[in-house]
Amino acid sequence: MKTAQVIYENGDHRWLAIVRDPDRPGYLIDTNEYLVSVGEDAILLDPGGSEIFPSVFSALCAEYDPRRISKIFASHQDPDIISSLSMWMEFNPDIKCHISWLWAGFVPHFGGTGDTFIPIPDPGTDIPVGRERLRAIPAHYLHSSGNFNLYDPKAKILFSGDIGAALLPPGDNGLFVENFDRHIVHAEAFHRRWMGSERAKRDWCARVADLDIDMLCPQHGAIYRGAEVRRFIDWFAQLDVGAVKS
Amino acid sequence: MTQAAGTGGELRRIVRINEEIKSVVATAFKINLMAMNAIFLAKRAGQAALGFSVLSNELRRFATDLQQQMEVLRQMTHGSVASVTALVKTERLNRVVDRMRSELSGQARAMIERYLRNRQTTSFVLHQEAIATQNRRLSQTIADTAQLVELGSVLARSAKIEAAYGGSFSAALMQVSSDFEHTIAEIHRSLEQLSRHHD
Repeated sequence: MKTAQVIYENGDHRWLAIVRDPDRPGYLIDTNEYLVSVGEDAILLDPGGSEIFPSVFSALCAEYDPRRISKIFASHQDPDIISSLSMWMEFNPDIKCHISWLWAGFVPHFGGTGDTFIPIPDPGTDIPVGRERLRAIPAHYLHSSGNFNLYDPKAKILFSGDIGAALLPPGDNGLFVENFDRHIVHAEAFHRRWMGSERAKRDWCARVADLDIDMLCPQHGAIYRGAEVRRFIDWFAQLDVGAVKS
Repeated sequence: MTQAAGTGGELRRIVRINEEIKSVVATAFKINLMAMNAIFLAKRAGQAALGFSVLSNELRRFATDLQQQMEVLRQMTHGSVASVTALVKTERLNRVVDRMRSELSGQARAMIERYLRNRQTTSFVLHQEAIATQNRRLSQTIADTAQLVELGSVLARSAKIEAAYGGSFSAALMQVSSDFEHTIAEIHRSLEQLSRHHD
């Protein structure tokens, strides 16, 4: 079963990271899910695939009452991001899913009705959670053609979806990046292959360089914090992307 | 699982059970700390509080056992979520196949009907049986926990009696044992809620 760990807490404003499932079958990619709660309201970020729903749901229950989750944020349309939607809808049919307008007609194949989806326009939008407002930051073509990150200006945390992801070897279970040089080796091939556009990459790097970020939280692998955030952005900026390793 | 409750209701029920588990775990943690303080107090009271000291140690063990028992319950609810998830997937598939059947005729329809009959007598029923078995185990574990908590109540009452022999520390020991009694009563209430959510 996964575990839910608090990565940020300031009064009733919290970020939980739901990570590392020792029981996950080897054929499924490991994913991180995040919950942002403010007072009595909460948003679940990239809730994961239907195969890992039991693990995510149980881990979440141990730390938070999931009846308070009113919204889901899906960075893009992939099955490891949002195919558990039908289960979340089963649990709470009133839950709303924020996703790029591009996918609003595709993702209902995983579940939900016409009332479930709140399309995010290309330039992004604010998503209210309790008294706070989180910002959907455009990250199109990184890797999906309709792709968003989510920024919490109060907590200074950027949920970066697949950007910053690393496919870590078994046993490498640390929550945070402790040794950047050793870690980034496991991120390189993924970014070269999955991030398809050099221009989109440059735009993203310029966009997030202006944000005040203490933690950069990807959907796979460890979290970058402190100086490692800037280091990652610089590393990504100079990486040759959109290439198949021959 | 009753048909009326549905799988969503089943998940919400599991959440309510988990909320009570969290509440009991927090209270068990409190008892553990209280018992530690009680052991120190009994040490200071010396010979007059020997019995009280033994009971405080037992109450500490009780708190640890209770925390372990709650972990067992939590693992059980995880198993229940997995079974409910499997049931939802089967239900969805059955609905799709059912729609196919209504749109087909002749041999194709007969084939789908055979498939449906087979599925309904295998995976769907198996998932329902798995949930029923897990619910029975959960009931048994809640009943076992209720017995454990009863033991905690007996220990707290005995501590109250021992406090009377605590000489000059009697009033302080009495206060501590009353606190034990009230805190264990909180657990009783949580367990009653747990049983109600489970039924």
